[in-house]
Amino acid sequence: MVTPDVGAVQPVDVVIRMHGINKSFPGVQALSNMSIDLRRGEVHAVCGENGAGKSTLMKLITGVYKPDSGAMELNGRPLVVHNPNDAYAKGIAIIFQETSLFPELTILENIFMGHELRRSPGNAGWLPSLLDYPAMRRKAREIFQRLGMEVDLNTRVAELSVAVRQMVEIAKALSFDSRILILDEPTAALTSNEVQTLFETIRKLRAHGVSMLYISHRLDEIFEIADRVTVIRDGEHVRTEDVRQVTRDQLVSWMVGRTLSNLYPKEEVPIGEVVFEARHISQERLINDVSFELRRGEILGVAGLAGAGRTELALALCGLSRPDSGEILLDGVRARIAHYRDAMNMGIYYISEDRQKYGLVVPMTVGENITFPLLGRLAGLLGIINTARERQISTTYIRQLSIKTPGPDFVVNNLSGGNQQKVSVAKALATEPRVLILDEPTRGVDVGAKSEIHRIISGLARDGKSIIMISSDLPEIMGMADRVIVMRNGAKQGELPRSELSQERILSMAL
Amino acid sequence: MARKTVFTREFLLGAIVAAFILFLSLTTGFGSVSGVFSFMLDVSPTIVGAIALALIIFTGNIDISAGTILGFVGFVAAALARAGYAMYVFIPAAILTGMVLAGINGWISVTFRVPSIVVTLAMNMVHIGFYVTFLPNAGWVLNLSDSFTFLGTGRFFGVVPYIFVIAVAVAALFIWLVKYTRFGKALYAVGGNRQAAIYAGINPDRTVLTVYLVEGLLLGVAGILKATTANRLMPSVFQGREMVFIAAAVVGGVNIMGGSGKLLGAVFGAMLVYLLSITMIYMGFQDYFQFALQGVIIIIAVFITVTDFTPMRKRLRKMFAPGKPR
Repeated sequence: MVTPDVGAVQPVDVVIRMHGINKSFPGVQALSNMSIDLRRGEVHAVCGENGAGKSTLMKLITGVYKPDSGAMELNGRPLVVHNPNDAYAKGIAIIFQETSLFPELTILENIFMGHELRRSPGNAGWLPSLLDYPAMRRKAREIFQRLGMEVDLNTRVAELSVAVRQMVEIAKALSFDSRILILDEPTAALTSNEVQTLFETIRKLRAHGVSMLYISHRLDEIFEIADRVTVIRDGEHVRTEDVRQVTRDQLVSWMVGRTLSNLYPKEEVPIGEVVFEARHISQERLINDVSFELRRGEILGVAGLAGAGRTELALALCGLSRPDSGEILLDGVRARIAHYRDAMNMGIYYISEDRQKYGLVVPMTVGENITFPLLGRLAGLLGIINTARERQISTTYIRQLSIKTPGPDFVVNNLSGGNQQKVSVAKALATEPRVLILDEPTRGVDVGAKSEIHRIISGLARDGKSIIMISSDLPEIMGMADRVIVMRNGAKQGELPRSELSQERILSMAL
Repeated sequence: MARKTVFTREFLLGAIVAAFILFLSLTTGFGSVSGVFSFMLDVSPTIVGAIALALIIFTGNIDISAGTILGFVGFVAAALARAGYAMYVFIPAAILTGMVLAGINGWISVTFRVPSIVVTLAMNMVHIGFYVTFLPNAGWVLNLSDSFTFLGTGRFFGVVPYIFVIAVAVAALFIWLVKYTRFGKALYAVGGNRQAAIYAGINPDRTVLTVYLVEGLLLGVAGILKATTANRLMPSVFQGREMVFIAAAVVGGVNIMGGSGKLLGAVFGAMLVYLLSITMIYMGFQDYFQFALQGVIIIIAVFITVTDFTPMRKRLRKMFAPGKPR
C-alpha cells in the first residue's frame, strides 16, 4: 500500500507525475517531451491514435520499459520501476489489452500468479515459503463478490468466455490492493452489460480513492466514465482537459490533428438485385433459425452484443463451420458450401475479427499475406509461384487501399493495427469476391485508419459488391449500413432499414 | 463451489498402471519377488528422470542431452568410488556434475537466445565426443566394490529396492514443491504464456535457468540410482535415456508444448513405459520391434495431450443423438 505523502514537494492530490519523458526505439521516437499527471481518485482517460505512444507510456509506468530521459514521480518522490512486479509492489497495477492470462491454469492460479499468498514469510530463510491456498481462495472470493460475480475458482481459464477472462484480469489487478490502476482498452471484448458492471466497479474504486488511467478508443466510454482526458499524438502531449469541457468532435480533431468532417463516409449507391440469401440457418445452441437476404451494392449491418451469435453466423455462412440446417442461395440458386474453399470459389470471403490469430500470418510479408488465397492461381508448372505476378497484385492493392508499408516485402508484424487490417481487406479483395463478410472491421484501429477503412468499404459497395458488416460499434453500424439486422441469443431479433435506425432501437432489440 | 473431478488424467493413468500390474501378475511370473524387485529397480531412475524432464517441459523447453549428462554423473560417481572416496563424497560430486552440465545448457539457451532443443542436441554430441576422447577408457569404470553398489542393490524386506524408496520420496517432494512454491507456478507460467509471465513479474530467463539447475540435480540423483545398480559403469549405456524420460512425461500427460501437465502423471508415465516394455518382453517381441511400438505409443500420447477433444466429443454426441437425421 502506498501511503499519502502529505506535505511533500508536489501538491498532495497528484499521485503520478511524468514530466518531459523521452523514449525512443530503433528508428522510432515513441515519446517526446511527454507529460501527464494523475490525481488521487480520478479516472484519467488517455486517448490517441494507434501508435500515438499510449502503450509505451503505460509500459514506462509499469516498468516494462525505462525512459531515456525525463522525470517520473510517485507521490512527489522520484519513481523508478524496475519491472512489472516492482510496479505492483509500489501499488501500481495494469490490466493489459491482450489478455495476460494462462489458459491452462485455473482462475485462482491466474489471479495470484507471480504474487501468490504465502504462509508465514519469515520462516527458516533457506526454505521456500509455501503457498497458502485457503487464504488465496478467501481473498479471490471476496474480490469476485466485490465485482458482483460468481465463479468456480477451479475452472481452467481456457474454458471461459472472453468477457469472463477480462473480469478475471480485473480481479487479478484488484488482488494487488493497488491504489493506482491502469486499464488498457478494458472493454474491447465486453458486452454492454459487462461494460456497465465494469464501470460500476470503476466508480466504486474511484470513491475509495483509487486513481485510474483509462486508455480507450471508445470515445463514448471516455465521456461516461472519465474525469479528465489527455490526448496524445505522435508521442507528444496534445492537451489535457476536464471531460465536461470538451466535445467529441474536439477530441477527435486533437487526436488526428485535423477536423474530420465526416467520420462515416457513406456513399449512396444504387442497390441492385438479391445476390445472397440465407434461409433458416440453425446451429445447435449457437444460431437459431436466421434468414436474410443481401442485395448488390448493399451494406448489411449485423448488430448485437458480444456472444449474440454474429460471428458464429458468419462462420456458418461461408463454410467455416457447419450449420445443422438451413440453406444458402447465391443468385437464387442453392449453393453447396461444405468448406471455406467452396465459399471462396463462389466469391464469398470472410474477414475475421481477430486478424492476428485468424487473418494474417504476421511474421510473413505484406505481399505474401495478400496473395495467400491466390496461391493456387499464381502457381504455375510444378507449383512454382509466379513471384513477379505476386508482387504486381500485392502492389496494386497496397496502392488501392493506401496501406502504409515500405513495400510488399515488409513484414506485417511491424505495421500498425489499422494497416494490418487493411492488409486483411486487401487479401480478401485479391480474391475478387462478390460477397464480403467483415467481422468487426475496425476493432482496435485508430480513428484515422477507421475512417479510411470505412471509405474503402463504401467504395466496395459502389463497385457492386455486397457486404455483411458485423460490428459492436453502434455509430459505425448506423453510419455505414443500408439495413441492419439485430441478433440476440443466436436469433435474428429484427431488421431495420437505414431510415429507421437509431441507437435506442438497435439496443432495445439487442438487449 | 469447487466440484472435484474424480476421473482426472492422473487418476486414469494410475488405474491403467494398476490394471497392468494386476494383469501381468496373474498371467506371468511378474508378481514374484524377483519380478517386482527388478521392476522397481528399473523404474526408479526413470521416475526421477521423468520428473526432471517434466519440469523442463513445463517451461516449454527440452533437454536432449539428459542421457549423456547421466553418463557423466555416473562416471564421476564411479571414478570417485573407485578411487576410494565414500558415499558422502561421490554423491554430492555427482549431483554437482549434473547441475553444472544442465546449468550450462540453460545458460547458453537463455543468454544467447538459442532454442533449448538446439543447444541440448548439440551438447549431446559434445558430451559423447568429450567422454570418448578425454575420459580414461572412454569413461568405463570396472570392478566397483560394494561401497558403490550398496545403494543400488540393497533392498528393504528383501523386495523393495532402496533406490525405489528414494525415487518415490523425490517424486513426492517435487509434486509437493510444484504445488506449494512460487517457483512451481512460475514454471507453468513461463511455458504457458511467456509474455504474461513477464507481466506477472516473473523473470522467464531466471526461471528457465533455475529449472535447468533443478533438472541437473535430479539427473544427478537419477544417475546415481542407475549407476549404483551395477559394479561397472559405461557412460554410453546412458545415451538415449532422455527419450525414455520424455516419453514417460508425455505419456503421463505433460504437454510437450509447455504450460500444462502434472508430475504425478509423469511418475505413472514412467511406470507405464516400463510395464509396456515388460509386457512386450513377455509377449516375445524383439528388442527393436519394442522400440517401434514405444514410438507409436508416444505419438498417440502426444496426440491425446495436445488435441482438444471437445469438438470431437460434440460430433460423437450428435452422431449418437436419437432422432436427428443428418
